[in-house]
This record gives sequence, structure tokens and C-alpha cells, in this order.
Amino acid sequence: MSHLYDTDDKHPPKSGLVLLQTLILVLFCLFAMRLWYLQIHKGDEYARKARDNQLRKEFIFAPRGVIRDRSGDLLAVNEPAYALGLVREDCKDIDATLQQVSTWTGADFEELRDLYRKRRRRVKPFEPLILIPDLTFEQLALIEINKLRWPGLEVQVRPRRKYMYGKLLAHILGYVAEANEEEMARDQELALGDYVGKLGLELMLEDQLRGIKGLRQFEVDVNGRRLEDRILKHPRAGHEVSLAIDLGLQKLVMDWLRYEAGAVVVMDADTGQLWALASSPSYDSNDFSSGLTPEQWRKLRDDPMHPMQNRPIQSAYPPGSTFKHVVAGAGLQYGAMDPRETVYCSGSTTLGRHVFRCWKKWGHGRVDLERALVESCDVYFYKLGKKLGVDRMSEFGAAAGFGRPTGINLPHEKAGIMPTRQWKRRRFGEPWQGGDNYNMAIGQGYTLVTPLQMARFYAAMINGGKLMKPVLVKDESPVVQARLPLDGEQVGLLRKTLIETVRNARGTARRLRTRGVIVGGKTGTAQVVRLTDELKAMKDEDIPYKYRDHAWMAATAEKDGRRFAIVAMVEHGLHGGSGAGPVVKAAIDYLFTGKVRKKPQHLIDRALAAQKADGTLPKGDSNGI
Amino acid sequence: MAFDRRLLLHINWALLGLAVVLFLCGVLNLYSASGFRLEDGMSVAPYYRKQLLWGLLGMLGMVTFMVIDYRHLKTIAWPLFWITVALLVSIFFAGKTIYGARRWLDLGFMNFQPSELAKISVLVVGARILSREREKLDFLRLGYVLGVGLIPAGLVIRQPDLGSGLSILMLLGGMILFRGVTSRVFKTALVTIPCLLPLGWFFLHDYQKQRILTFLDPTKDPLGSGYHIIQSEIAIGSGRFWGKGFLEGTQSQLRFLPEKHTDFAVAVFGEEWGFVGTMILLALFCFFLYQMVVIARDARGLFGSYLAAGVFFYFFWQILINMGMVLGLMPVVGIPLPFISYGGSATLVNFCLVGLVLNVSMRRFLFK
Repeated sequence: MSHLYDTDDKHPPKSGLVLLQTLILVLFCLFAMRLWYLQIHKGDEYARKARDNQLRKEFIFAPRGVIRDRSGDLLAVNEPAYALGLVREDCKDIDATLQQVSTWTGADFEELRDLYRKRRRRVKPFEPLILIPDLTFEQLALIEINKLRWPGLEVQVRPRRKYMYGKLLAHILGYVAEANEEEMARDQELALGDYVGKLGLELMLEDQLRGIKGLRQFEVDVNGRRLEDRILKHPRAGHEVSLAIDLGLQKLVMDWLRYEAGAVVVMDADTGQLWALASSPSYDSNDFSSGLTPEQWRKLRDDPMHPMQNRPIQSAYPPGSTFKHVVAGAGLQYGAMDPRETVYCSGSTTLGRHVFRCWKKWGHGRVDLERALVESCDVYFYKLGKKLGVDRMSEFGAAAGFGRPTGINLPHEKAGIMPTRQWKRRRFGEPWQGGDNYNMAIGQGYTLVTPLQMARFYAAMINGGKLMKPVLVKDESPVVQARLPLDGEQVGLLRKTLIETVRNARGTARRLRTRGVIVGGKTGTAQVVRLTDELKAMKDEDIPYKYRDHAWMAATAEKDGRRFAIVAMVEHGLHGGSGAGPVVKAAIDYLFTGKVRKKPQHLIDRALAAQKADGTLPKGDSNGI
Repeated sequence: MAFDRRLLLHINWALLGLAVVLFLCGVLNLYSASGFRLEDGMSVAPYYRKQLLWGLLGMLGMVTFMVIDYRHLKTIAWPLFWITVALLVSIFFAGKTIYGARRWLDLGFMNFQPSELAKISVLVVGARILSREREKLDFLRLGYVLGVGLIPAGLVIRQPDLGSGLSILMLLGGMILFRGVTSRVFKTALVTIPCLLPLGWFFLHDYQKQRILTFLDPTKDPLGSGYHIIQSEIAIGSGRFWGKGFLEGTQSQLRFLPEKHTDFAVAVFGEEWGFVGTMILLALFCFFLYQMVVIARDARGLFGSYLAAGVFFYFFWQILINMGMVLGLMPVVGIPLPFISYGGSATLVNFCLVGLVLNVSMRRFLFK
């Protein structure tokens, strides 16, 4: 234990003790002088500063990048909107002030108070809490006049998104709305009340479109009046974006889809650029930027025509006869038939006890591949499908881009279905049957495709077999996603049959003929329900709307090195040619002659009548045209 | 070893009283700082209550540190030191990250900051090494002492907690100065340290550099740390001679200040108690420090002297840096003011160290 007691009577170093005392003295003098300077010498000045003035800061909102079409027309811009905010610290009597706001704007007092309570904890000291996001000019005038008597109230100017053609491009542009909790948690830059893209390109291009907020510092006096301000950081507007979309064409196809439910895709076959991407019925993007009322939201959600559905990429339909080119492609790839070989079509063929009919009751007679495609002979394809089998058809279908998303830069794209044996077993627990091959071969089986996938495949048939990534932004470079597993000659053959289908007097797409333009095409009809004898006996116009078949028209058009794929899909349009053909024809005319043809009255009447035929459906939509 | 009742006679009551009075000033001030009332019940969490609890725990620690003869510390100095280093290393694997820095060990009932323990360990080891020899320190010995201090300091700075890391080094540096260095060493240091400072610049984090730049020109970052300095000067200055009175501080300036209950606590004090209050507080601190000098002078044996000197520097640097920052004489560094700023571990350590020094003073007449 002896080590515990250092009995050495040594004294601590004198110099050290002196040092410590000196340090205490220095500390005392230094701070005493500084305190005297701050509290006595400059005390009055500081006291006045503390009493009279406060430094505050506020964001300067940055405008979102504008969006233009391919020729520079403005599609989405910003306009000033006036929001009424409340700075809690300046407010003498919250309830009375809210009451006054309620009187001015007609907003419900209780709701205002709830809003206030909900947001109170979320705003920083001296930051305005937004009560009314969007004042009308009358309200603004009223408030500006009386504001000074109600300390704490502040009018904030911020840019609001405005869509020049609300309904025309809603499914492409999407919309912006106030950021929610989740988005704010994910993104540090976002503050309460900031607008962010929620759908469409506004969502996908958020990083480019969003500007960077600036910061302003200002002093306020005891009444909350501003004295002087200083910009600390200038705001930076978001980047401008130009779309591949051609406004005129988009307008045209939306016009032709009036009162119909359907989709139109116009794609540049060489670059994948989308000149039009239409979905009908539509909604108005502008409704969202100033906040949707619950009632508006309910109406949109419960509309049986589903205006929020982005049909070209989110609706997958049976492809009908438009799929026959896929089956033909598979036949060529695997050498399952010689294109010159003929098959006899008597109007039907049998498999076991089942009878599979051709749409042409009395048959086509002897048909080779070209004629089978031109006249859309079902029997030829029943037999080809039987020869190929599901695996090969499915393999080529996948290679043609079906059964998976196209990768277009839009949210929530659907993949569609390219069935395989395994898929059927998983889905229905049943094995693949011979009859399934027959149905698949004419596009009536389990296969489901989106109009965009269809457009991409039809573009591939005229550009030498390249599957192009669908592109919405003008300066995005073209991407070849895949190639059809066919040689140039085989692709040429498919293209030839497409053109023949329009050129030939018996071709199903002959209505698309356009002087000076090499047009190809294929009609398709997708059964919605199994046709009962009762329905078969009915005249077209008597069939209830919801039982009518969907109409497809997939077309290609080439002239002077410009090549396009145009696909239209009209729900319950009955027949490809008459239901979906007119809009495709109008689009071709516009693309190559610039002519704008209005939808003729008799077609509008037909569409309206179709909807009336089914009493349960409301009148469709004029698409804002 | 039974507790010798005579020891109670020799307690330095002045030091004990000063510590408690300073602590109570701090609690009172926290009550005011955190009791900001908005009509809708928006108030900062009642820090003063937590602080009181920590203070009671701290006094318990203080008594513990008084009871056991401090000279036992000599024995456990090195084991304690290495245990601390091990804890600091373990924090990199098991530490809790708060505000982007891994400084905490979760003990279940509390978050413990090993960096606080590191200060005590360095203090004890430093006192042990320095009290061994008589001569002034030459380069070799100096290098040895500094090397020992650099191990925990480096680990703490890596957390990153520059404030605590530097305070460890400064604590040791103070003890070395107390001991005295050869004039050659002194002259060399006088030349090299200013040369080394620019080098240190490269080791600073960006935000730390930013703060120093801001200090040199507060208007550069008027909404960041520069804002803090400006607002804290306004708050203190606006207290004028008599202050605005308890709970009367408008603190309008300080409502933006996230650290008004921690690093900037004294700004609230200055606003409410004025020049009179701040001078009294300053005087209290100076008396408090002076008691350490007295104890260092009268200690029995050099080990006790060095312990007292170390504790002196531990408090001295914090007071100097914190008040220097709040009064706008120094860049913003996150160092709390002892007893005045809110802080759990810090309050605990403060009281324990006071207990340690009281221990040294109690046993100054023991002959055994």
C-alpha cells in the first residue's frame, strides 16, 4: 500500500500556480470587457434591434421548367398564384384571424382551424403557414386592402403549373400537386407546400423540371411590416423540356377519339419518337395543380369510362387479327411453312369435336401466306398455329416485344401477357391444350397487348426489324432495344403483306389508301365476350355497348424516307376497319399532307348512339376539343 | 479502509458551494430557455427537469469520487486508460449515430459518450506521468506525454467530435504548461505551432471550415452559423445593465437558435439578467477556478496537484471557448458551458471532477 502515499513533500511548481492565476485574471478581464462592450456600450442599440427588428428569411420560389411540343409550342407553363399564409408569431388572436379569413374567402372556419392545427407544428418559426393555397383575384384584392389590420396574414406569390391543353396531354404530362409526407421524407429539398410531379412526365422528369429555390432575407418591424430585404440566393428555374409529341397531331387524334374510349399511338419507325400518344377519355391536369376537391376526385375515380387510365400503356387487350403478323413472323423464323405454300380455307376447320370458324363463312379457298394476311384468313392461321405450337409462337412474340413493358418513360406501364405453357399452368392450373394454339394464332387467346407494344412491333416491320424504344422527349437519342429474329428478306415479306392489305381491293385495311404514301395496315377485332347466337343475330347498332368487340387498326405509312407506325384501338368499336380505321386515316393524312380533318358529325353521332345503346353508361367525353 | 470522519473537516466548502450555485443558475436559466410559451402550448421539452435529475446523479457521483482516497487512482490510471481506448474503438462498431456522428454507446438506460470518460482517463494518466519527475519537460518526455494523449484524442476526433478531441489535447497541454517545459521546448513550440495551424486546416470537416470563415465574416452566412453569432450578440446586448428579468427575455432572436439550451444557454442568461447577472456569473466562475488553484497549491503530493491543475484546465478551456463563442470572440464550436448548458454526460462528469478535486483537498493533511 505504500505506493499510495507519495510522502515526497514536493510542492507543485510555482510557475504553474502563477500561470493558473494569470489565466483566471485574463479570462475575467477579457469577458468583462466584452460584456461591458456588448451590454453597456452597445446595449441600447442591441435592445432596439431586439425590440424593433427581426431578421427573417423566406424562400423565393423557382418556376418549374416549361414543356414544349416538337415544334416549340408551349404545353406547360407557370403562372403566378397567390396563397394566403399566416405567420403565427405575429398574430395576436389566431381564432379571430381565422374567422376573418373564413369571412373573406368563404372557407369553412372549422376546416381552417383543423388545417391550422395540423400544420402548426410543421412550419418553422416565422414561416407563413399556408391557409388558402389559391386566392381568386377578388379575394386577393379584399385581403390586400385589409391585411394591415390583421397582423400575421401574408400573401405569398408562388408559381403555379398551368397546362395550356389540360385534357389533351394529361396522360403524357401527368400533373403536379403538393408534396406529401413520404415525398418530403425522401427528398430533403422539399418543404411543406412545395409542388412535385405526381404522374406522367412531371413525375419522371422531376429532377430536370424542378428549379432550385432562392432565399431572401428581410427585416421586419414590431408590426410585422417589412423594412428592407436582401436576396441571399437567386432562384434557378427548372430546365425546359421539348417533347417528341406534335401538338397538331395530338389534337387531331384526340378529336377523332371524342366520345370514344380508346388509344392512339403514332411512332416514328426509325427513332421511336412518339408524335402522338392519346388516351380517351381524359382528365384535366389543371384540376390537380390547384388542389382537387374530394368531390372532383370521387367523380374521376368512379367514372365507369376510367379517364385516369392511360390506355396506350396501361390497357392490355386481346390483339385479334393484328397478331397474325406475329404468328407469320414465327412461321418464317422457324421455317414452319413455305410462304408460297397454300392452305384450303373452307370457312372452318375442326379439332376433335370443336369447330373453329373463319370469319368468312363460305371460306377463302386456296390461300398462301400473303393472301391469308391480306384477307385475314383465320383457317390458314389455325393450321399454322397448330404446326408452330405455343412455345415457338410465344418465343417470337416475346422477341417482338410482347409480354413486357416497352420501357417508355412513364409510370405504371403494364406488361401485357404473352402466354406460355408454364404461364397457363400457374394461372389456371391446367395444361396447354391444342385449342389454345388455335385461339392464340388468331390473337383471341390469352394474349394481351398494349397499343404501344403493337406500334413498336409494326414499326419494326417497316424499319428492317428493329424494336425501337418509345421516346417522348425530343432530344433523346434513339435506342434499338432488340431485333426481330428474321433476316432482311423475311422482314421485307411481312412489310409487303402489310402494304398489300391496303393496296388490294380485298384487303381488310383498304380504307387507309392515301395518294403518294406507301401505306400498310392490318385490322383486328378483339372479342369482349363469347358471342352468343342471340348477339350474332343482332344488328351492330343493337348490340349493347359493353358487349361490342374492341376494334384495332395497326398501320404503317412511308414517304420520302419518313416512316411511321400508327396504331388505334377503340374500345367496343365493333370492327377494326370502321371503328378504328378513320382516326388512323386522318393521322396519315395529317402526317404527310398537313391536312387537318375534323371528325365528321355522323361519326360523332355514331359514338354517342353507341353509348346510349347501353343505358348504364354516361355520355363520354369531348376530350376538351 | 474505514472512512475517516476527520476528512469532513477539511472539505473545501467554497468549491462545493460554488459548483452547486453555478449548477442551480444553469437550471434556472434552462427553465427560462425551454419554457418559451406560445398560446398553443408549443414549448421546448422541459430540459430543466432532466438537467435537475442529471445534477442529482452528478452529485451522487461527486460524493462517490470523494469517498475513496484519490491516490488509488494512481494504481488504476493505466488500466482505466486502456479500457477507455477500447470503448472508443468499439464505438466505431457498436456506436449509435446521432446527427451524423458516432459518439454514443447505448447502455439501455442512457446513451453514454465515451469521449467524456476519455477526458477523465487522460486527466488521471497525465497527472500520473507528470507527477513522477521533477525536471522540466524536454522533448523526449514531452513527446511521450503528448503521444499518450493523442491516442484517445485522435479517436474522438474521428467520430467526428472535434470539440471533445481538442479539449482532451488542450487539457493535457494545460497540465504540461503547469508543469513547465524547458525554455528550448517553449521556444520551439512558439515557432512550430503557428506553422502547424494551416496544416490542421486540411483535417477539418467542411462545415468546420465554414464556421471559421463565418467567424471571420459573420455576414457571409447570415442565416447559418453567422446568424447564431449575430443573434446571440443581440440577445446578450439587449439585456443591458439590469437585464429584462427572469422569464422576460423575449428570446425572439433565439427562437431560431437550436442550441439556446445548450451551447448558447448563456445568451439567454445575459438577456434576462443583464450586465449585472453576467458579471456575477463570470465572477462565480473565476472563484470556482481559483479554488482549484488553492487546492493544487495545498495538495499533499504532486499527483494531487496535477489532478487539480488538470481539472482547472478542463473547466477553464470550456468556459473560455463557450463564452468566447457566445460573445462573438471565437468561431462557433460545439462546446458547452459547464453547469450552465444542458447536457447529461457533461453534467455528470463536471460533478465527478469537482468531487475528485474535493477529494484531493480533503486529504491534504493526511499522514499515514
